[in-house]
This record gives sequence, C-alpha cells and structure tokens, in this order.
Amino acid sequence: MKKDKAAPAPRHTLDFLGIALAVVIIGAYFLLPFITQPGRGPSTVAVLTESKKANELGIFKTGLEVLPLAALGMLLLGIWNVLVPGAARAISLLLALAGLLALVYYINFFRDTPLVSPANGGEGTVMGSLGMAFWIMLGASAVAVLQALIPRAVPAPRYRLAKLFGNQESVILFGLLLLVIVVGLANPRYLQERNISDNLAGNAYIAVAALGMTMVIITGNIDISVGSLVGLLAVVSGRLAVAGAPAPLAWLVPLVVGGGFGALIGFLVAYLRIPSIVVTLGMLSIIKGILIIWVQGERVTDMPAGYFLSQMRPLGIPMPIIIMVVLTIGVALWMRYSATGRAFYALGGNAEAARLSGLSRRRLVMTVFVLNGVFVGVASVMYSTQFNIIQATPPPALELSVITASVVGGVSILGGTGTVVGSTMATLLLNFIRSAMIFINISPFWLKAVQGLLILATVLADLLRRRRQRL
Amino acid sequence: MKKGFALAVILALLVMVGLPLSADGHERWDGADDLAVNPLACGMGDAMMEDDSDAMMDGDAGEDMGMVEYDGGQPAMMDMDMAGMDITLVDVPKLVGIGYFAATTLGQKQAAEELGNVNVTTDAPTEANIDDQIQVIDTYITQGVDGILFAANDPVAIAPVLRKALEAGIHVVGYDANSEPDAREWFVNQAEFNGIAKALVDSLADQMGADAAFGIVTSTFTTPNQARWIAEMWAYASECYPDLTWLETLEAQEDAVLSFQQAQTLINKYGEDMDGIFAMTSVATPNSADAVQQAGLCGDIAVVGLATPNGMKPYVNDGCVRDVVLWNPVDLGYAAVYVTRAVVDGELMPGDSSVMAGRLGELMVVNGSEVLLGPPFVFNADNINDFDF
Amino acid sequence: MQSAPRNPTRVDKLRHYLISQEGVLFFIMLVSVLLLATRTDKFLTVDNLLQQGRFMTEVGLIAIPMTYIIITGGIDLSVGSIMGLAAIVLGWSWQTLGFPLELAIITGVLSGTLAGFVNGLFIVRVGVPPLIMTLATLALFRGLAEGISQARSARGYPEWFYQLGQGELLGIPTQLWLLIVTVAVFGIVLARTQLGRALYAIGNNETGARFSGLTVNRYLLLIYTFSGFMAGVAGYIFVSRVSTTRSDMGAGIELDVIAAVVLGGTSIFGGTGSILGTTIGVVLIQLLKNGLTLSGLTSDATIVVIGSVLIFAILVNNFILSRRGNS
Repeated sequence: MKKDKAAPAPRHTLDFLGIALAVVIIGAYFLLPFITQPGRGPSTVAVLTESKKANELGIFKTGLEVLPLAALGMLLLGIWNVLVPGAARAISLLLALAGLLALVYYINFFRDTPLVSPANGGEGTVMGSLGMAFWIMLGASAVAVLQALIPRAVPAPRYRLAKLFGNQESVILFGLLLLVIVVGLANPRYLQERNISDNLAGNAYIAVAALGMTMVIITGNIDISVGSLVGLLAVVSGRLAVAGAPAPLAWLVPLVVGGGFGALIGFLVAYLRIPSIVVTLGMLSIIKGILIIWVQGERVTDMPAGYFLSQMRPLGIPMPIIIMVVLTIGVALWMRYSATGRAFYALGGNAEAARLSGLSRRRLVMTVFVLNGVFVGVASVMYSTQFNIIQATPPPALELSVITASVVGGVSILGGTGTVVGSTMATLLLNFIRSAMIFINISPFWLKAVQGLLILATVLADLLRRRRQRL
Repeated sequence: MKKGFALAVILALLVMVGLPLSADGHERWDGADDLAVNPLACGMGDAMMEDDSDAMMDGDAGEDMGMVEYDGGQPAMMDMDMAGMDITLVDVPKLVGIGYFAATTLGQKQAAEELGNVNVTTDAPTEANIDDQIQVIDTYITQGVDGILFAANDPVAIAPVLRKALEAGIHVVGYDANSEPDAREWFVNQAEFNGIAKALVDSLADQMGADAAFGIVTSTFTTPNQARWIAEMWAYASECYPDLTWLETLEAQEDAVLSFQQAQTLINKYGEDMDGIFAMTSVATPNSADAVQQAGLCGDIAVVGLATPNGMKPYVNDGCVRDVVLWNPVDLGYAAVYVTRAVVDGELMPGDSSVMAGRLGELMVVNGSEVLLGPPFVFNADNINDFDF
Repeated sequence: MQSAPRNPTRVDKLRHYLISQEGVLFFIMLVSVLLLATRTDKFLTVDNLLQQGRFMTEVGLIAIPMTYIIITGGIDLSVGSIMGLAAIVLGWSWQTLGFPLELAIITGVLSGTLAGFVNGLFIVRVGVPPLIMTLATLALFRGLAEGISQARSARGYPEWFYQLGQGELLGIPTQLWLLIVTVAVFGIVLARTQLGRALYAIGNNETGARFSGLTVNRYLLLIYTFSGFMAGVAGYIFVSRVSTTRSDMGAGIELDVIAAVVLGGTSIFGGTGSILGTTIGVVLIQLLKNGLTLSGLTSDATIVVIGSVLIFAILVNNFILSRRGNS
C-alpha cells in the first residue's frame, strides 16, 4: 500500500470499491430472493412484503425503501470518490457506514427462516440463512473502512479522523449507530420501526429536562430537585385537567409554576449566594414533602380525552419526539447565537472575566434557573400526558438520569462547555442501551452493571477525545 | 503512557461487557429466596382453601392450615390490662405517598371510627427504604404507642426493631408484607401467595390458552412479596400448565415510565411470539396495559396483574385488560386494626383459629400466626366500577 | 479600628469561635434541640440520644471522607452503591463461597476499598471529573451488587456478628464508639497534619498545589480509596445492624451524606470545611428527624422542615460570615 509520497496519485483499485459495492448490493437486492427462497419463484418486492405478517412489517417495508436508496447513495459516493481524490477518505468512511446500514436492512429482509428467538429455545439463527451475500458485503464494508484508515499516496488534505470525532456529539452518535447495528445484527427485531420510535420517544421527557439541566451546568450550577418538581407539576397538570380546565391551560400552568420554582431557586442562588447544590438539595425534600402532604398518594385519573399530549401523533410521529427535537434545535441555536446564551458559557467558563466584561452574574443565574424551571414544566407535561393515569410519586431517581444525560452528553461539570444536542443524544443513547441489553438477552441480574459500564465507556471515550485534541 | 492506560481500560471495559453476553444468562427466573413453594391444585375457580390438601403431597407440610402451632412472638407483660380502653396505634407501611397504602390507611381510619376506642396514625418514610422504616418504628417505640402496624420492606431487616417493640410491651401486627414470624404477634395475610399465583396464571391461560407465552414486569427481584408470587406462579404453572412459555422477567422498580418502557421492550422483542404480560405491582400493571394499548395490541396481548381498581378502570372499561387480581387494600387495613384491637382485648390468643373483624365477619387463622383476609379478588368490567380506592 | 496590631484577647478568641461556621451551626443545633425538648419529654433522654447515635453511624462514617473529598473540590456520589456492594460481597463470600465470617467481613470491606480505589484511579490517572466518574460508578457498583447477589440475600449470621450493629459496649451502642474514635482521629488529621493542609491547598487551588510540589495525585487517590473503605465499613455495620444483606442497601445515602457535609459548613467549591462541622451537620439532621417525629410530625412534613433548615442554616452562615468579613 505504501507508496512514495512524491509520486503522483494513481487511481487505486480500492477507490473503485464504492461502485463495486453498490453493484453487489443492487445485484443482491434483485437476485438473492431467487437463491435464498427458491420456492417462491420470481419473487417481487410485493410478494415478499405480503409474505410477512402485518404486525412486524414496519422494518421490512422500511428495509425495502432504504436498501436501494443506500445502494444508490453508495454508487454516487463511489463515483465522486473516483473523481475527487481529496475527498477520498471521508467518502470511504461514509460508504462503509452506508454499506453497514444497507447490510442490516438486508439481513432483515432476506432471511428465509422466520425468527425464533433463542429465548424460546428455538433453532434457526438469522445469520445462518444469509449465505454468501452476507459475507461479501461484510468483507466489502471492512475493506472500505480499511481504505479510510490506511496510508495513502496523496494524503487527503482536509480530512482527518480526529476531526470527524471532534466533539462529544459525534462520539455519541457513532456509539448509538454502533449499538443499533450490532444489536440489530444479533436481534433484527430491535430495528423494527415501533421499537426505534418507542426508544426515541420513551426518554424524551428526560431529554427535555436535560436541556434545562445542561444550561444550568454550563453556568457552573446544578439542580437536583428536578425529580420532585416533575412529580409535583405532573399532578398539578393532571388535577387541572380533571377539574375541567381546557387542555392547553393544563399544559401551560406547569410551565409557569415550574418557572416560579426556578425563580425561587435562582433567587436563593443568585441573590442570597447559597450554592445551588445546597438550595436544590433542600428543595428536593421540600417539594417532595409538599407533594405527599397535598395529594396523599392519590393517583390522578379520568383526564379528558384531549389532554394526552404525549400520545398524539401528528404526521405519524409521536409528539414527544417532535417536542424533543424542536426544543433541542431551538435551544442549541439560542445558546449559540443569542447574547444570553453565549453569556451562560462565559459565566461558567470564567465567572470573574464574565463579571468584568459587564455581564450581570445575578441576572444570568436567575435567568438560567427560570428557564430550567420552564423546561422541567414541559418535561412534567410530557410525563403526565403519557399515560392514562398519573402516579402521584416523583419518578424515582429522575434527577440522576437527567444529570447523567447531561454529563454523558459532554457538559463539563465545571461549567463553560457542552451543548444541548449532546445531552439529548446521550438521553437517547441511555434508553437504547437499556432496551438493547434486553434484546440481546443479558442476564437480568447483570443489566445494571452493564449499563454502568457502558456509561463509563462513553465518558471515557469523550475524555480520550479531549485529550487527543489537546495534544 | 496515560493514553495507553486509558485505552487499556476501555478495552477491559468492553471485555467486561462481553462477559455477561457470553454467559447463558437466560434461565427462567423463579424467585429469589430459597423458601419452599406450595402450588394449589389445578383447575379454574376460586375454591382454593379446600383444594389445598392435594398440594401437601409435595412433602412440604409446613404450611398446612390450622395445624401449625402459633409461631408469632409475644410482647412483654404490661402492668395493666388495656382491654376495652383507648389505645393509640401507629401504622408504618413501606412508604407513604402511593395509592396502595393510601387505601390501607383509609381502611384503618374506617375501623378506628367504628371501634371508637382506637386512635391510629400513619407515618412511614417517603421512599421504600429499609433503614428509614426501621428508624420510624424505633422513634414510635420511644414515643410509647400501644400498638404498631407494619408492612415490611424487608422481612429480616425489620425483625430486630420489631422485637424491641415487643420487649417494650407494644403489640405488633403486620399486614401486606410479613416479617420473621417471631418478631410480631400476628400477620394479616391479604391472600396466600399460592392463591394469588393461581388466580393470575388461571386468568392468563383462560384468556390466551394453555400454551401461551408471556413475560413478567416486576418491581425488583429482591422485593419479597413479588419474588414469592413469581416463585409460586412458576410452581403452579409447571404443574398445571406445562405448555406455558416463560419468556423473561424484567425489573421496573416502582417507576411508571420504566414499567411502560419495559413492557414496550417485551412487546417489541417478542412480537407476536408473546401472548401475555404479568405485571406484579400496582404501578407496573396500569403502565404495562398502557404500553399494550398504545401499541394497538389490545386483545393480542393480555395484561394480567395486581393493581388497585382506580388505577385500572381506564383499561378495564375499554376492554384492553380483562382481569385484575387483588385483595381489597381498604379491607386489609381495616382488618389489621381489628386484629390489633382483638389482641389487646385478649380476644385473639395464640392457638385460636379465627377472629371477628367487624364488617368482614370471621377471619380464619392460617399458618400458625397469620390471619387470612380471604381469597384474592378478581376485578373485571362487571364489578370494577363498584370500587373506589 | 485600632491602628496597632494587638494580641488576640480571650474575648476575641471566643468571638472567633462563636462566629465561625461551626459556632453558628452549633447554635442552630442548640436552639432546635431546646425547641424540640419543650415539645416532647421523650426526646431529650439518654436512651433516645444513644439510639440516634446508633442510627447515624453509617452516615457519620461516610461523611468523614466525603468532607475530605469535598474540601479538595471533588465529590463522591457512589458511596451508597459501594456500601451495597460491600454488604453483598460480605454475605456472598460467607454464604456462597464458604469463607469464614471473619474473612468475609474483611473481603467485604476490601471490596469497598477497591471500589473507592477504582474511582480514585480513574479520577487521578485518566482525569475523569469526580462527579462524572462517581455518577457512572453509582450505576456500575449497584449493578455489580445486583449481579453478584443474584437477588438473593444472606441471613442467619452467628450471634457475635450482631455485636457491632446491635450490641452495646459500656452502655453505649458499639458502633457509636467506632464513630467517635474515627471522628476524633480524622478530625485531628484534617486540622493538624500535613495531609489536612494539603487537602485544603488542593481545594483552594489545585494547579497551585501541584506547582508547589504537593503530590496531589497521591492525596486524591488516597482519599477516594479511603471513601470506599469507609463505605465498606459502613456496609458491614449496616449488615450487622439489620442482620441481612440486600443489593439495594445504602441507596440514596449519598444525598444524606452530602447534605450533612454542606450543612456542616464545608463549601461545595472546596477549600473550606471541618470534621467538627460535618459532625454537627450529621447530628443535627438525625436529631431533627427523630425529634420532629417524636413531637408529632409525620415524615412527609419532616423532610420539608429538614430541607428548609438546610437552606436556612447556610443562609444564616453566609449572612454572619459576610458581616464578619465586612467589619
């Protein structure tokens, strides 16, 4: 592989790999049904689609659309790869990822035995039925990865691996993709549409709470009272709805009340200079006590039909996902481009410098806690509208989940760095990990330990990245 | 150097992740303690008391009704006889702030009102924490109440402080979750473990057939009641419905969202290979039902579980859940107060075989020192709206 | 006010102690105790106070290294999980592995120490921020405890095992002796030895401490390991007190401990704090919990009061200290 650096860049056979790979995939897409399912005769997409039962069809339908798309993408990328030498490595890597994605869907689609999960004691593994095509594609993907990594005659001028993984968001995204692909290989049902959307929506309320938490941590503070507050506001919202308030009012009041609690905390932290951990540690008990004294454990039921915001699916997408994505993007842009948002970073990064440059520490801290309270309010509405009954207890250890999401997402606990995109993706990662562990049949007793290890691994990966960047 | 160290650590972590993967971690989980199981005879119907003689064939005669000697403890003698006098009781459930124990508290208030000479207050930690519960009980011993009602977070851990209460001459009666027998006088048993197990398994088999496959959503593997129920379910199912397939048991704490997510995960993982979900707590049951409902699989996946009626009305009324198994927690709290009153008045002595409990009538003594509330109750669309707790 | 410096008189010294963080806190504690004592005569009795001493031993023991750690500007959230892990290892090695009980106790405490060492190693060698590291191991160690225990509990220990948790020595609960000695020893270590001074130096300015030649890494590794060791000992005491092991033991204790430490005047940002303050914090919370219940409040109201006291105490402290700073 090694060539003299001074030599002109000859086209390497490997550069044509993308095209070859695409041809293989497209060929397999049309030809393999004849090989793996000879009994079916001239199978078309429609025939195969109908052969699957409706219940699990999500993934297979999607597979049918994605596979040719992935292949087409690979073809185009491959051609570009041949024409533009400088882009080679980045393209190769993208190729490999697209190839893996196509591979996963391919496996789902073309396996000929119905899935019998190992838990049932059934036989017939998924991999066994794939035949040659699987190994061809796996090998091709591996070569594409290698192509990206091995030294080349002309070093790609702009592109470096370190740059692609230059922030925690891409580390987490990569981890997420890796997890989904690996677990999807082990148990294809992990990839069905419903599971993916359940996993995306399930922790959305934690992600929204983590938006506020991330901002709070960026300014060098912390809030451990979020769990109690979510519990309280959820009951407030539910009781309003039961009492006959119109649904939008029941959704908005928690935001206001949450903002009010945030203002109280912010006041204590900013103006009376009590450390935020002390204030929120106290508020954790106070709010929880108030909740118990007030509702005495009575659940809220019989909310009117229009109340269940989280169960709505505009355009077929679950509402929690929409709220999460919209808020995350909104907050990320706001943090990046607004004066206040940038001031938060300044405050957390170097409070003294921020003060000298004319930023009012008090007003900023106040603002960040009020905002946090509002986001907790949103999270509590997402929580309370998710089920037909609202439990009157705070979700156990919610504050730990929220803080974990924030710090795994790359927020430095010392303040000053981190983004809300990272925290949202970390929340998703944590939920995907939880269900992945179940899908690959890890002993239930060891679930928590493995989850802990994976959290640790994510944190370490982030750290390694930072260290490499510093060097 | 440092980079190498960090890399090595990450590799080691990945290997450690791999270890539980390679282990065959998927054996059927059957409850965490080593106590014997005592499955009831097969068949539908709720005549569980009479059928019990068959089960004795297993060689486990320790549970034979009415024949076991009294194995509870006794409080130290007090100077004066409290019979008929006003007494102050404190009720220490596992935790406060959840619907189930709000219902038992309600029953205790009703009983106290009826009796007129009983004063009962409820106080317990705000989280189901064994140490906090011990401290609450200890404080009430210091304060000097006449009787303690408890629902134990852990049967062994709570025993020392209960023994201390007995030594201080305080009457100790448990309900809902037992302690070691000699650490309390009586235990009001809401329904026997094997009876609950039979009711649950029968319901599932009736709805989805004797060859159904099911998963379980429980609180934690260490929660004693849940562990016993699952163990009894296993024993009963393997005797009476050998074709039932046990898929998996998942923990969900007492967490509404986690229960929902775990049920979703079961649904997605097993797809149409799963016919039912057993939910073992009053949080897990409604939220598992919600997961089935939101997946649009009502009728395809049966949810059978333990829950209070108020939490289950939305799901039972729209037909997504057919049966909910539970005793009446209001009656349970009610009976606990009556039993304590009877103990103080000397109307319930070791060796007695029954006790009168107000509107509940005569309750039987079983297993030596347990007062049985009755067979578990099955709520369904016909009767669930008659209850409010 | 006076231009010439003068030697501190006895009054000055007294004022210094009264207006110190510990002094203020002690005053708050005194007031609460007196208030509670007027509400109920069951509270201020020797028996009751000794019993509260028994209950606060675990939190008190863990609070000592937590004070050290917070003084250096770090935090350890994994102590509750380490406590559970140590308890489970103790029971498991005795019942499943068949170790003699004495060895099982040592194994349990050692496993806690090892867990703390792992925390310290990552914090020092890899540079993971303490909060993140211990947040991750909070989940990890609890998971290990669950995995090792396989959801089973070990019970039925011989009689001597309960001496530490349930017995008495010279009329005082056995574990309280241990707490008193530990508090005394490590209070002096923090206040009077080079180790103590180094911890304050690290908390005030870690980089500065490094440049002035302190072996910062070694100190940090030491205190996180010490924290694991103490959590292990607390786990052993707890098993001895409640006579069984469960994998969820010690869950949530980290927040109780941190509350006690910050209530005791240790700054969460590092650099200040004392074992005396922490001890008063631990005692105050325990007495409030007990006294409020004795005087007729239920637990839900009690946690509201304790939460308020926590905020109020720091508020008063801030107020008085800023007054002192100004004058």
